[in-house]
Amino acid sequence: MNPTSAIRFAAALFLAPLALAQNDNPAAGKDNLPPPSNLVGPGPLTMPASQAAGQPNSQGTTFVTPGMPTLGRRVSSGQVTRFTNDFNPAFSFIIDATGQVSEAENGADGADVFLRTFEIGGNAWVDPNAWAYFTAVAEDEGIGVEEAAVHYTGFGNKNVVRAGRFFVDFGKQMQTHVHDLRTYERPLVLREYLGAELGGDGLQWDSWTTLGDATVVRWSLGAFASLLGEGDEDADPANTPFASVVEGTKREDDFSYTARLTGFTEVGERGTLQLGASARLLPSYELGLDAGAIGADLSNTVWGLDATYGWVGETGIDSWTFGGEMLFNTGDVGAELTGADDANPAHYTVVDDSLTGFYAYGDYAWDRFNAVGAQFSSAEVVGDERSELEVYYTRLFSEFHRLRFVLGASDSDVDGSGSKFLVQYTTILGAHGHGVNW
Amino acid sequence: MGRLLQFAALALAALPTVAGEREPGAKLKVVTTIPDLADIVREVGGERVEVTSIARGKENLHNVISRPSHLVALSKADILVQVGLSMEMGFIPALLEGCGNPQVRPGGKGFINASDGWQPIQVPAVLTRQGGDLHPQGNPHMNIDPRAGRHFALRIAEGLSVAAPEWKAEFETRRDAYLARLERAEKRWLEFAREWRGRKFVVYHQEFNYLAEVYGFQIVANLEVKPGIQPTPNHLAQVIESMKREQCTVIATALWSKNDFVARVAEATGAKVVELPNMCGGIAGTDSWIAMMDLVHERLAAAYGTPVPPVPPVQ
Repeated sequence: MNPTSAIRFAAALFLAPLALAQNDNPAAGKDNLPPPSNLVGPGPLTMPASQAAGQPNSQGTTFVTPGMPTLGRRVSSGQVTRFTNDFNPAFSFIIDATGQVSEAENGADGADVFLRTFEIGGNAWVDPNAWAYFTAVAEDEGIGVEEAAVHYTGFGNKNVVRAGRFFVDFGKQMQTHVHDLRTYERPLVLREYLGAELGGDGLQWDSWTTLGDATVVRWSLGAFASLLGEGDEDADPANTPFASVVEGTKREDDFSYTARLTGFTEVGERGTLQLGASARLLPSYELGLDAGAIGADLSNTVWGLDATYGWVGETGIDSWTFGGEMLFNTGDVGAELTGADDANPAHYTVVDDSLTGFYAYGDYAWDRFNAVGAQFSSAEVVGDERSELEVYYTRLFSEFHRLRFVLGASDSDVDGSGSKFLVQYTTILGAHGHGVNW
Repeated sequence: MGRLLQFAALALAALPTVAGEREPGAKLKVVTTIPDLADIVREVGGERVEVTSIARGKENLHNVISRPSHLVALSKADILVQVGLSMEMGFIPALLEGCGNPQVRPGGKGFINASDGWQPIQVPAVLTRQGGDLHPQGNPHMNIDPRAGRHFALRIAEGLSVAAPEWKAEFETRRDAYLARLERAEKRWLEFAREWRGRKFVVYHQEFNYLAEVYGFQIVANLEVKPGIQPTPNHLAQVIESMKREQCTVIATALWSKNDFVARVAEATGAKVVELPNMCGGIAGTDSWIAMMDLVHERLAAAYGTPVPPVPPVQ
């Protein structure tokens, strides 16, 4: 420790109790309290419930002695206590239920009714420079945290740094939770190359700039502990290869990365065009079975190019939307069984290839409450070629209440074709929102 | 790990600097949510302001779709003027969050909430979604109240003077000149309304309630079940029955709400459909707020067959 640091340390030790004492008394050092007009704008002045209640501060223990761990205590301003809070976050609950009848050549026929999603969400400003949110969903056993992230906006201008667990910024659909999609399912190609939902623990920097008066360009860079897509939960790891990354602390090649560049501009009086390019990089990962590794130090990159055109009628209530994305899955894209025993790692070969796929959709909403559309998606996968078509009618009873009818058809070189009819019924209780960026 | 640190350093270095203050003497860049406010900002601000409106005049005000130019305009704006009362909840919060310009956010010196100090009607006693898309502070469609121009002009002059105190006297002079023009218009509007008290109309959405309140119109029914909730067949049957019972012969709609439901009820009851502007610019000849309110009065007079007072000479 150099002498300056030592003096600072000593001063901090000496002055800390004084600073705490002053913070505890907002009127300290002043002859008079400021007049009420300096405190609030027009309207009745009421005392927050927390102050009226005279409760202890929310951050920390009931009584604090010097040296006790007290997050936020030193800058306590008394708006909240552990028992009352005038600044509650906005909470929401999503119930997304499905009824389904399906027919398939591979034998997956029948009817079913199930709760597809029960989600709990919360959003709030942390302070003037940051807001945070979380999304937790009910899983078969317990609750899973899908997203929990802070957006720091204090760099000013148009920069946001996001930290925590959140869905990746890839194309127009991967940030979106499935219950918020225009269609029932996320496009097949995204599910195959990136996963049904792709979130990770990481850090992302977002920024944007203007080009002229009607064009904006945004970019983001993200680094994540892992961005491996969700595997098939029902698959047996003893005989189905699964991907994994290094656990615990990592070198830079063990992280996953994302990048996106997108711009949107006005086309004519009522049209908007958005173009974008995205990438998800896995510099290093492993494929294996329970019995051992099939391949180590593998790498994979998925590239995407997307285009979306939206047209809105002059009253703002009717609209056309067309969009699509082309994806390129490159590098080590999976494992192929070359021997007789699918539980033996030695009988698998890692496929180093470039696979392509795409999705395209069209949507027409003739008013605020009714929309129809169709989405087609096709993807090359290791040892197969698959496609899916989804046609839907969506009826909104209100902003918080939705019914959707879906006809779906699928085709696979390996599994044959199938079809299904779905009814999706979704309700939102409260202030629902995810940290989706355009 | 070295490359990770390099990446972080590069990212931080690339952060643009915070936007600077407006240069002294430069025009105030003002963004308004609706053209009504843009017109009054031009009236009060004159040559000192450069004004852009987000809505154009034909939209459903709760459903304005954000476009790139809105984000650009707000990111460069010195002032944002909104009506408030949650009218712009569908688009302004997201634009404010995305634009990266703290000056125009609520609490910033460039934020003008034009409904401040207004006494709204229909303030809900109970907040529940059972009531539809309720606005907690009351009915937000105050811009179709004949008294609103005066209120907006006062709030806007105050707000512009806070943002550019060096031009305060100029703003006040222009405000007073506008208020004098408004006074002449208001006298004519009162002439229109002499025979309107007790007359009845039906609306699709609750956007002409201030007009009804001021002139004593009776709103027999709303075609929407609740604000923002589409009519059901049962509800439409009740509306038709009410209109026949009350001998109501007029349905007032805006451009966005002149839809199939309105046509069905008009056909069943023989009522006239009167399309009224819900903001400036949506109908030809309504580029200014006074001209728009003139048209509102003229169309209502035509619907009820009441006298149309002469236009006063320009002074």
